[in-house]
Amino acid sequence: MTSIGTGYDLQNSVFSPDGRNFQVEYAVKAVENGGTCIGIRCKNGIILATEKIITSKLLRPGANRRIATVDRNIGVVSAGLVPDGRHFVSRARDEASSWRSTYKAPIPVKALAGRLGSYVQAYTLYSSVRPFGITAIVGGWDTDAETKVDGQVGIGPAVGSGGKVDGAKKGGPGLYMIEPSGLYWGYYGAATGKGRQAAKAELEKLDLSSGTLELEAGVMEAARIIYVAHEDSKDKDFELEMSWVSSVDGPTKGRHEQVPSSLLEEAERRAKKAMEGEDEETGSGEGEKMEE
Amino acid sequence: MNHLPQAWGRPRDDIYGHYDPSHLQTAGPNAHTQQPIVTGTSVLAVKFKDGIVIAADNLASYGSLARFTHVHRLRPFNDRALVGFGGDISDMQYLDRLLNSLDVNENYGSPGHVLNAQNLHTYLSKVMYKRRSDMNPLWNSMLVVGLDGDDKPFLSSVDLLGTTFSSPTLATGFGGHLAQPLLRKLADDESQVKDVTREKAVAAVQECMKVLFYRDARSLDSYSIAVITKEGGVELKEDEQLEGQSWAFADTIRGYGTQVN
Amino acid sequence: MFRNNYDNDAVTFSPQGRIFQVEYASEAVKQGSVVVGIASKTHTVLVALKRNAEELSSYQKKIIGIDEHFGLALAGLASDARVLSNFMKRQALASKMTYGRPIPIERIVERIGDRAQTSTQVYTKRPYGVGLLVAGVDETGPHLFEFQPSGMTQEMVACAIGARSQMARTYLERHLDKFADSSRDELIKHGLLALKESLSQDKELTVDNASLGVTGVAKDGKRKIETFKLYDGPEIGPLLEAALETSEAAPAAEGGESMEVDT
Repeated sequence: MTSIGTGYDLQNSVFSPDGRNFQVEYAVKAVENGGTCIGIRCKNGIILATEKIITSKLLRPGANRRIATVDRNIGVVSAGLVPDGRHFVSRARDEASSWRSTYKAPIPVKALAGRLGSYVQAYTLYSSVRPFGITAIVGGWDTDAETKVDGQVGIGPAVGSGGKVDGAKKGGPGLYMIEPSGLYWGYYGAATGKGRQAAKAELEKLDLSSGTLELEAGVMEAARIIYVAHEDSKDKDFELEMSWVSSVDGPTKGRHEQVPSSLLEEAERRAKKAMEGEDEETGSGEGEKMEE
Repeated sequence: MNHLPQAWGRPRDDIYGHYDPSHLQTAGPNAHTQQPIVTGTSVLAVKFKDGIVIAADNLASYGSLARFTHVHRLRPFNDRALVGFGGDISDMQYLDRLLNSLDVNENYGSPGHVLNAQNLHTYLSKVMYKRRSDMNPLWNSMLVVGLDGDDKPFLSSVDLLGTTFSSPTLATGFGGHLAQPLLRKLADDESQVKDVTREKAVAAVQECMKVLFYRDARSLDSYSIAVITKEGGVELKEDEQLEGQSWAFADTIRGYGTQVN
Repeated sequence: MFRNNYDNDAVTFSPQGRIFQVEYASEAVKQGSVVVGIASKTHTVLVALKRNAEELSSYQKKIIGIDEHFGLALAGLASDARVLSNFMKRQALASKMTYGRPIPIERIVERIGDRAQTSTQVYTKRPYGVGLLVAGVDETGPHLFEFQPSGMTQEMVACAIGARSQMARTYLERHLDKFADSSRDELIKHGLLALKESLSQDKELTVDNASLGVTGVAKDGKRKIETFKLYDGPEIGPLLEAALETSEAAPAAEGGESMEVDT
């Protein structure tokens, strides 16, 4: 590895002569060793999925949820150091709560991503702290329905627009990925962790920017992509965890929830079949051709 | 005469009264609730065999002015608890937002841990008592209804002093005087609750709402009613109307209109 | 592991993305004597091997009851465990007073996990040097959690931490399918047998050095929870006998036969 710090990498917030903060780059290494996480933005919702590597047979199956909820309609999943991920979620929940106190409405996903990006970036400024060892994917649905304000009393005046701009489009899905440096972008499909290269390749094939993928189809795809990404850690067992947020008229009614177990099992079954199908193509497929 | 430095240049106390130093406090305005401003009137509830019925009218009065007529004072918490608020409406808003954030936080853990009506009541009573001890009360009297930890019907009240009551029938405000006697005819103590059907309970509550509209001078004929059961969860109807109100008997009342006798 | 430039404090990542101070804190856990925890559908059990500094001194307390419905077993720096357990006691009591219900185990474990994580991200603190097994019962049944100095908390079916705990873990993995339906007594027996696996050659479980904590769901009584009970000293005698006689019965019989043949 070229230029291993050499003195400029021992402390956070220190610039190297070529303008790099090595502690942040080392934090990214911690992320690259973590289980793969992906997020998919669909036409009518968001899906988050993660590959939970099983480190011990003694772990309780089905417990140890990695995908956390923030407020009611936003989910967060992270790859890297799990305790740092929990700290991140804790701050996200505080930000959401503080937004609600001020504006009496749930925080838009875009605003939350901005707040968290700033928070993570702040941990790269001082030598007395270290950067977060996680990359987090934040996804949610901002409601487009007419909702009441928090603690609403009464129904407002019968005439006029009630302070709202007529015809302004509001709400919709939001998917953001925040790195240890605090940098973040909005995504149609996001992937991080060990199998991110394979996952990204699969996500690009889905043509997500056209905004046509349906939520249920997205769930199947997400499971399949995690299985593909797991090839990079083939020697270890893993548990698939998936969650989704839909629009108000969708299956989750605007709330962030775990994908129901029946749908999850179906998605896993299809994903496993797709993986076997690929093996057949590369393996016995050649045998058939030779016979002909 | 007071020749001490603190009295130099000051008008005389015996003519102008004692000097009020309260404006010197640098901590800023420190408001303590002295009186409720915009208020809701009674809330009534009764337990029946499988659950609870609760009702409150849709009026927020500004003193004697019937100011806001679409104020829903029954606020559901989750699918097994609901709080009915009487008293100051801004404090009701504060508590509603507080309970909303409590609900958001409770849902963060693994599924299966649900705050039932009893937990909610305990929590609210701690909040109310704390505020009373700060001499800054939330000026409300509330009924907390729903299902307790064993899925049995739960009904309790808590008020601005942090006092709690539990009974098969409860009512706040004027309801305590006008409605409670009628509700108690239905179920006087806990052992009689199992004989009360849902229909009887709803009918009794609606009858009491009519009585209150006739006799409580700060009430309205539009009301909200909710029924909470294990099977049905919280069934809330927010814009019910009292039917068949007739003031035809009014001219028989002594002192009506321009009558002297 | 050897000394390097990146192991001075918890706010330094190594070039491979590791935080050595946190890993060293986990070493402190491995120095402590072994503790084992198991959860079934109805009960959870914690068993611990206590150590004494010298022959005449008392044995270090390894299992602490926190509230009526849960307790913990520690391995590592006992003083760090004291700080964490005092915090948990205050939090559990406050939650019980505010809501009138015992705190869900997952929630209290999350709180100490967050506290521990903060100690791994700031310069002015050091990571906690203790591993905990938190076992208890709440509305959703019995739970067992492992807490590590990194702030990582995980729910387990069974777990063992401390010196030579790998032997106990092997026993637990072998008998994993039996735990869910085990009765209270069977679970206690499994715990003691797992603990026995991790003992060094010359050691034995006695009433002085073994400690046990149990809690579970009860059919009746307040809140339907069997209060956390700590077995220490003479009380643990009968339980030890019950567990160890079944494991000694088989080899003892064989030993008897072979002796007869020799003479």
